[in-house]
Amino acid sequence: MQFKLDRRVHYSKRMLIATPVIAIALAVLVSSVLLVLLQKPVLLTFHSFFIAPFENFYSITEIFLKFGPLLLIAQALAVGFRAKVWNIGAEGQMIIGAITASAVPVYLVDSTSALLLPAMLILGALGGMGWAAIAAYLKTRFNANEILVTLMLSSIALQILYYLLLGPWKDPMGFNFPQTVMFQDEALFPALFEGVRLNTSIFIPIIFTIGIWLFMEKHFGGFKLVVGGLAPNAATYAGFSSKKAVWSSLLLAGFAAGIAGMSEIAGPIGQLQRSVTSGYGYSAIIVAYLGALNPIGIIFAAFFLAVLQIGGDVALVSADLPISAVHVFQGLLLIFYLATYTFVNYRLRIIRPLTHSNTKPTP
Amino acid sequence: MNVLSKTLAAVAVSGLLFHSTVNADTLEIGLLTPSPIADVGWSKALVDGVDAVKAKYGDKVNINIIENIQEGPDADRIMNKMVGDGNEFLVLGSFGFMNGGLKLAKRNAKRTFLHASGYKTAKNFSPFTAKYYEGAYLMGMAAAELTKTKKLGVVSAFAIPELISTINGFTLGARSIDPEITVDVIWINSWFDPAKAQDSAKALLAGGADILFSNAQDTPSVVTVGEEGGAYVFNLNGSMKEYAPTKYLGVVKTDWAPFFVASVDAHLAGNFEGKNEWLGMQDDVVVVDDWNADISAEMMAKIEAKRAEIVSAAVHVYDGPLINQEGKEVIPAGERLEDGAILGMDWHVEGVNSPLPK
Repeated sequence: MQFKLDRRVHYSKRMLIATPVIAIALAVLVSSVLLVLLQKPVLLTFHSFFIAPFENFYSITEIFLKFGPLLLIAQALAVGFRAKVWNIGAEGQMIIGAITASAVPVYLVDSTSALLLPAMLILGALGGMGWAAIAAYLKTRFNANEILVTLMLSSIALQILYYLLLGPWKDPMGFNFPQTVMFQDEALFPALFEGVRLNTSIFIPIIFTIGIWLFMEKHFGGFKLVVGGLAPNAATYAGFSSKKAVWSSLLLAGFAAGIAGMSEIAGPIGQLQRSVTSGYGYSAIIVAYLGALNPIGIIFAAFFLAVLQIGGDVALVSADLPISAVHVFQGLLLIFYLATYTFVNYRLRIIRPLTHSNTKPTP
Repeated sequence: MNVLSKTLAAVAVSGLLFHSTVNADTLEIGLLTPSPIADVGWSKALVDGVDAVKAKYGDKVNINIIENIQEGPDADRIMNKMVGDGNEFLVLGSFGFMNGGLKLAKRNAKRTFLHASGYKTAKNFSPFTAKYYEGAYLMGMAAAELTKTKKLGVVSAFAIPELISTINGFTLGARSIDPEITVDVIWINSWFDPAKAQDSAKALLAGGADILFSNAQDTPSVVTVGEEGGAYVFNLNGSMKEYAPTKYLGVVKTDWAPFFVASVDAHLAGNFEGKNEWLGMQDDVVVVDDWNADISAEMMAKIEAKRAEIVSAAVHVYDGPLINQEGKEVIPAGERLEDGAILGMDWHVEGVNSPLPK
């Protein structure tokens, strides 16, 4: 017996919209069973995940604090994914962005210039782009697989970070702890409201999203990029360069990830330390696909994942859930979403082994 | 759809049911640990500490433990949530929680924070560190008797003063018995990375070491390598004897119970004062135990005598003369290294081969 997925010619729009709802219901159902087995409070857990993040103002601002970098990186990655450029190293590009941006406050410890932040922003973007450019060069020059290259570059980026923190950039007053000085206020994004960590960097992903939407939907360049990925031969015939697609996809992702890294160290962290990414570089890949690589869809997906992560933290504290149970629930949600999405778009066909002269698809 | 609406309704109801979990009469104590709580190790030692508080106060306190939290912005949010959920007394179990914890402490002047391994203080924020070097010195003496190659190996987490001074204490103890002994160190930059810790331990054995020291590793990784490789091995915080039944040299245990209980007492009495808490054998926080039977009675007597001298402050591990790796005298005979210099230690004593990561 064999299984085959056929793309549905007509799929139900209503079902497509119901997809996330079904996925959440299934995930809630399965994890309820797990929670009962773990003898954890079921209702309190789901309350923590879905209600608690919205219960107070501080918590809502925290959702947006996570939403920002997820949105920024996912939008850029989605452009590349549509052009079939598989950059899964946004994590490394983010780390390098954080590093290059940190150079400013690390070397200008006493500066109070208003130019600190813009300089960090530019350096962060350039750092991320530079790191992504390595993969783009190796891909276009030697046809090196960008999945491997970007992934391995992420490991290298992490080691560079450790080197700097343990060596030349270590806080001289920090008793050898692997972290830099705390940055001066002028090197940090101002908070949007008193007493919260959400800061003005949240506008960057929003503006970026509008830009991406205009580019992909309204601009010929976006079309060329997609064609270059889908049908390289056709694209070449039409005079579109697939090399250009590789370069622009990777540089765009490096740009976004670099700024995201910069926003973390110039935002909630306030210094360069060993963990600067919170895993955004990888989560953003999920966000891009959850959002069906569509700029609007990605907004919802980024928000959803942000809520899920904040909810997970709440569940840890309030519902006394072990951290692995939190990850299981988050994983279930994503798996059910992708499964539901697949079955709405594809029809499952079971192919029986040949008994007669021809196969008959089961209804 | 029906399932969903029911679920949503249930979730909404749960919001009403479980909203308030804080009881005004009980002291809510929160513990945040950087690694999973296992049967042994750093996090377990912290849990034992708060359990002692629970044993003393019973229903008057409630312990909330959040385990395996990485440092970074997420940890800050979780700490924030712990405060929001009514924890009045917080134990932050890793140096990476320092800056976030300190910010929180400044905003919540009435709450008390204990912070592991850090160096910043506030009125309601005390960093706490164990004088591991005292116990490690005694372990060094035992190691000196048992080593044949005269090479000792250390798998170590971060090159922070706490761990550097522990390695130096170990080296000084060993060389007080046999000055030919040298020590190799591998820094793995993690509290919790069993695979890397084991690889490093094996590399040290391959390099000729026949005694291993698992410096602040939260898993029995190095200890099991010692048993398998036929090298005596010891570790910090909690006994891992069952992972090395024949080759376990001993343990430099930390018992946080006296300190945690005293801090909770002070918090409840309203006279808690944040200061750098630096606790050793005389405070009953650092305890050496589970000595290997292969150590001669003669050596055990020497070790016990040295222990008594350290506890009574008659001698200090960092009494001069102290010579650094470069062969330069740091403290002449008859003088004692200042506390501040130990708390900020960024150099190795003579006998440690490996350079410090700089």
